[in-house]
Amino acid sequence: MKLRKFVALTSLAAAGLILPATASAADTVKVGVLHSLSGTMAISETSLRDVLLFTFDEINAKGGVMGKKIEPVVVDGASNWPLFAEKAKQLLEQDKCAVVFGCWTSVSRKSVLPVFEKNNGLLFYPVQYEGEEESQNVFYTAEAVNQQATPAVDYYLNAGKKKFYLLGSDYVYPQTTNLVLLEYLLSKGVPIENIGGGFKKDESGKIISAGKYTPFGHTDYQQIVSEIKQFAAGGKACVISTLNGDTNVPFFKEYAASGLTAETCPVVSFSISEDEFRGLPAKQLVGQLGCWTYFQSIKSKANTKFITDFKAWLKKSDVTGIVKDGRVTCSPMVLSYDGVYLWKAAVEKAKSFEVDAVRKELQGGLSFDGPGGKVTTQKNMHLTKNVYIGETKADGQFKILKTFDGVVGEPWLKGKFKAK
Amino acid sequence: MMNHQVTKAPSSGKLSLLLGVLLSWWLILGASAAPPREVIANALVAEDVAEQAKLVGSLAGQADPLIPQLLAKWKESEIYIYEPTEPAGPKVAVLFVGEKDADDKFAAVRVDTGEPLKDKDGKPMRLTTDEATSADTDANLRLAMKVVLDLIAVADPDPAKRLKVVQQMGLDQDLEKLPALEVRVAGEPDAKVQRALKEAIALLQLKSEDPAKQIAAAKTLATLGSIPAQDALKTVAREGSPPVAAAANAALAEIAKHLQLVNTYGTVFRGLSLGSVLLVIAIGLAITFGLMGVINMAHGELIAVGAYTTYMVQNVFGPGLALSPFGMKLHLPGFGATGAAYDAYFIAALPLSFLMAALVGLVLERGIIQFLYRRPLESLLATWGVSLVMQQLLRLTFGANNVQVDSPAWLSGNWTFFDVIFGWNRVFVIGFAIAIIVGTHLLLTKTHLGLLIRAVMQNRQMAACMGVPTERVNMLTFAFGSGLAGLAGAFLSQLGNVGPGMGQDHIVGAFMTVVVGGVGSIFGTVISALGIGVVDQSFQQILGNPVLGKILVLGGIILFLQWKPAGLFVTKSRSLEG
Amino acid sequence: MMTPFPPPTPKEILARLEIFLICAGSLLLVVFLPLLNISGTIDNYTLNLWGKYLCYGILAISVDLLWGYTGLLSLGQALFFSLGGYMMGMYLMRMIGSLGQYKKPMPDFLVFLGWTELPTFWKPFDSFLFAAIMIVLLPSIIALVFGYLAFRSRIKGVYFSILTQALTYAAALMFFRNDMLMGGNNGFTDFKFILGQNLREPATQRGLYIATAVLTVGAFLICRWLTKTKFGLVQRAIRDSETRVLFSGYAAANYKLFVFVLCAVLAALGGALYVPQVGIINPSEMWPDKSLEAVVWCAVGGRGTLVGPIIGAVSVNALKSWATTEYPDLWLILLGGLFILVVLFLPKGIVGIPGMIAGAFKRAPKEEAPAEPAAAEPIVKTEAEA
Repeated sequence: MKLRKFVALTSLAAAGLILPATASAADTVKVGVLHSLSGTMAISETSLRDVLLFTFDEINAKGGVMGKKIEPVVVDGASNWPLFAEKAKQLLEQDKCAVVFGCWTSVSRKSVLPVFEKNNGLLFYPVQYEGEEESQNVFYTAEAVNQQATPAVDYYLNAGKKKFYLLGSDYVYPQTTNLVLLEYLLSKGVPIENIGGGFKKDESGKIISAGKYTPFGHTDYQQIVSEIKQFAAGGKACVISTLNGDTNVPFFKEYAASGLTAETCPVVSFSISEDEFRGLPAKQLVGQLGCWTYFQSIKSKANTKFITDFKAWLKKSDVTGIVKDGRVTCSPMVLSYDGVYLWKAAVEKAKSFEVDAVRKELQGGLSFDGPGGKVTTQKNMHLTKNVYIGETKADGQFKILKTFDGVVGEPWLKGKFKAK
Repeated sequence: MMNHQVTKAPSSGKLSLLLGVLLSWWLILGASAAPPREVIANALVAEDVAEQAKLVGSLAGQADPLIPQLLAKWKESEIYIYEPTEPAGPKVAVLFVGEKDADDKFAAVRVDTGEPLKDKDGKPMRLTTDEATSADTDANLRLAMKVVLDLIAVADPDPAKRLKVVQQMGLDQDLEKLPALEVRVAGEPDAKVQRALKEAIALLQLKSEDPAKQIAAAKTLATLGSIPAQDALKTVAREGSPPVAAAANAALAEIAKHLQLVNTYGTVFRGLSLGSVLLVIAIGLAITFGLMGVINMAHGELIAVGAYTTYMVQNVFGPGLALSPFGMKLHLPGFGATGAAYDAYFIAALPLSFLMAALVGLVLERGIIQFLYRRPLESLLATWGVSLVMQQLLRLTFGANNVQVDSPAWLSGNWTFFDVIFGWNRVFVIGFAIAIIVGTHLLLTKTHLGLLIRAVMQNRQMAACMGVPTERVNMLTFAFGSGLAGLAGAFLSQLGNVGPGMGQDHIVGAFMTVVVGGVGSIFGTVISALGIGVVDQSFQQILGNPVLGKILVLGGIILFLQWKPAGLFVTKSRSLEG
Repeated sequence: MMTPFPPPTPKEILARLEIFLICAGSLLLVVFLPLLNISGTIDNYTLNLWGKYLCYGILAISVDLLWGYTGLLSLGQALFFSLGGYMMGMYLMRMIGSLGQYKKPMPDFLVFLGWTELPTFWKPFDSFLFAAIMIVLLPSIIALVFGYLAFRSRIKGVYFSILTQALTYAAALMFFRNDMLMGGNNGFTDFKFILGQNLREPATQRGLYIATAVLTVGAFLICRWLTKTKFGLVQRAIRDSETRVLFSGYAAANYKLFVFVLCAVLAALGGALYVPQVGIINPSEMWPDKSLEAVVWCAVGGRGTLVGPIIGAVSVNALKSWATTEYPDLWLILLGGLFILVVLFLPKGIVGIPGMIAGAFKRAPKEEAPAEPAAAEPIVKTEAEA
């Protein structure tokens, strides 16, 4: 008995040693992971790498995809956009990955897009974005602007807010969101003088940019906060912030120091999820709002299981540099997770790893009951999902205030809302 | 419960209706039927959020000291809802008191009676936090609580609280509240509250039907220079009869003048505070780069070392810290301090971050920089390599994410004077910068070490000939400069984010500051930092665009250096010539 | 700061060997690699990578000519590289035609910003010739103005480095703004055609590679010739002691200005070829650390050698390509550690390794000066005085 067990164990171990080297074609399928693990974006993207590896292990433990184990190919985009394109080429042309999960910033997505189109690859993109794009080679599990910004404004309007201050980092996502919001607010009858942050007009007087913008890595928000304080002095005001992760800290520290609070002038931020929250001064943020298609505090079986399994996986994970303690889950992570399962479902339905076949299934409307509720794929390569508005608590979690069920992802929003 | 009071509320929304009802209640000092603790208990177990808000609102006008206590506990989710299972019974709101016992259980006290919670046998029950759910609040409920608390607060002995309540009443512009305010204004002892009361009354009177009163109110607001009144005045200017609109417009013009003045003073203060931040960051560089001629690109990472030290000290004062660098398990136990003792962490963090960064600087100097004193441009490359390595090491140790550093309570408030906000953290950074400059100056001019440092910096060979241990002096000078970077890091943790890449945000600005001031001149660095700060903030205020301002400042610096290539103050130092 | 090129001892043999190596290297890059690609031995991906590395190589040569030969450590070369890239990018954006997301005959981001008609300064970029002229002209004008001001005020050494860094930083902030109408943070992407050729075809990419290889070799040869003339001698004299050059009656500022402009143009040409090959240009290409990286390639390969920078650029970037796949968490430590080691122990870079080994064998003091004195010693002083 003992001997046989020993033999079995050693042969298993030997197989484990040899397998990665030999088993490439027959029983595994290569899947690319393209995130920044170093550089400025590592702060956000490393968590997505972690959750993807976890998902692959979870699927592999249950037999893989169509009987094939997922073999992840993890590469580092290093927050360097040309390198993203290079890595995308490598994943598609060298490693022949069946699908790639990755990218965070808009510019990284724009950088790899031509590569995916040229090689007819498939990219799953999980992070809130500006829309105005619809590629056949990208599946956007991400929140579109109407799955974050407009629901948040609805919430504010309901709460009796009359003045809106738009603030963001200077790049495409905030610029687009704020232009859409401007149109939306005007269509809801908010007078233009009640929208703060400033406008930029072209020669004909048409507004081409709304809101106040600060560069990445901006550290001094004194002037802007004092402007907001004057803006909000008359009451019933709120701030809509599309500030990028890092700059939120100096902004909120300044905000709190100036005496503005969630009661006098709440801030809704679209770029702060539970994960970013770990680096923010939580006590000074209590009561401010967030709007995502998932919060860790959602009470559902699927979510509880997801969180417990992920934490258990982290405990025993041996990935270099992985942080094991104090981890949280957040919307981009869950949308990555959903993406993998949707891809798996599409592959199994199509009975093929071919991108064209998989895409056809994805466009046909697949559903998955994820941690954030049911998500359904759409013809335009976006997702229908639930939208939640939450209020931050001192422990870094969100208390869910309102749920919008089954919001359809709509990438083309500019010019959709007409002013009254 | 509250239907029997009908008031003529204007149509400005549910909230003012509620307020109106509450206020008239308060005015006639009508006593509620049920004792407050029972009302709160009922509200706590109510299923519907609106019902909760209504019940809480009904407490208005009661002065029971229990009300603020219980509501505060509720707000902080320290009240629990217990649902008896055997036998099943109605939900009970309970407070946990005392220390938890060996089974993690607390003694539970009923909110409605103030007596211990009893089980079916009548014995006092002990519960764990898992057996009951904590009661939450939402924004609407908190608003209702606020109204209740506000009305208690109007008579609050603390003028600051009175002030807030009065200001809010003014903004709500609910005419029903006018009598209450007018009653208070006569007997109000505090000047600030007195002013706020006048402002609030004027704001309310803007809503009045009588044009004469409206015009008088607009005039009052103009003399007060009331910034909050602008929105209300604009509405009146748009909708009022011509004479009233004219008065409102005149008042708006007056307030705009006041605002301009406020912004000018505000800009100067903000400029000085930004300058102080720059100065704190650049002063270490003024030593290592200015005096020693070492281009230390890892200066930013030394700042990060200081900031992370602050983070660690904070956690040691608090709950402790678990780290997993390179798969190792590291656990720092914590004191578990709270309140003022916890806030004191920052005091302890200041010297420690200085020491930690100085230590890292020492290692850096001994390991790398000592070989590069004669190759300043190459010290740039090597230290850039160091900066990459350090960033990644920090990332591997503390995680790629930013970490949380709390501001002590005594750094997170502000003082508003003449409508200019003086954040305490900002005031502190100015004081801090002064202290560092004075300290550095004294060290360099009044101590023996300072004498040696200056000797070595002016002429290394000659100093060596005179028996100065140049190696040791170099080492100590570099460590001192690095330590100053660490101090800067400790302070930056109060203003911005603490993460592996935080140093990169500041390094370019720091070099600019030193170069503009004149390499080798500490005084020059001070002037240049303050100058850059004020100019930057002025551009921001004038252009309303932070990026354009920054570009203009950089362009200005480039042009300035064409005019004065060696910076503001030229010091005779041979280390960088040739 | 560096030994003059070429190294001394049996000069003739070495010179012939050198010429042979240069010819062999050029042939390999310009002819053999593309041939191997056609025959399928080298796949398109690898050739494309080499194209990218060589563009960096051109950038590194421009750094070397400034730093290694003239003693000007410019931290602004990435700016000129990106400007060249942006000019090329504008042409490529116009060539997309109506194939963008909005299907409008204008770059997408302009449609997005609400422009209904092409802004005037975009119009001439329909012409490749105009774009090509701008690639050379714009960086040289900026270099001319900035250089004139800087050298007239005799800004040098560290000040020059920090000033060029400020210039680059200001430009990067400017390009990040959407109002600049240059694509903001997203920059230019999704190129389709160049000179009527489809950019996604391997043949087009191969053509671009060959152009890059030819330019690299050309840049190398021109700089090599330049450094061997009397001009090159003055150049090195300025590096070693500008004051003495001034006393000898040379207008050092004019020499520096010429080199600065030349290097700006070189970098811009590299950038112009870089963009169609990597498919994106955005302001982070001119972020201060990019210039530093170029300096590091130069140091790793061997400064003041011209061939060193090419080797440095290719090897560091190849290392980066490899390490970001194999050791994503550790590659920054590898890279940073490499810089430190090179600066401390290999002051002459990879190119200097043979010399160091040779030096180790003939330790015994001879009458000739050792082949590698400490790099910091301005040993050329003697030569300049002669």
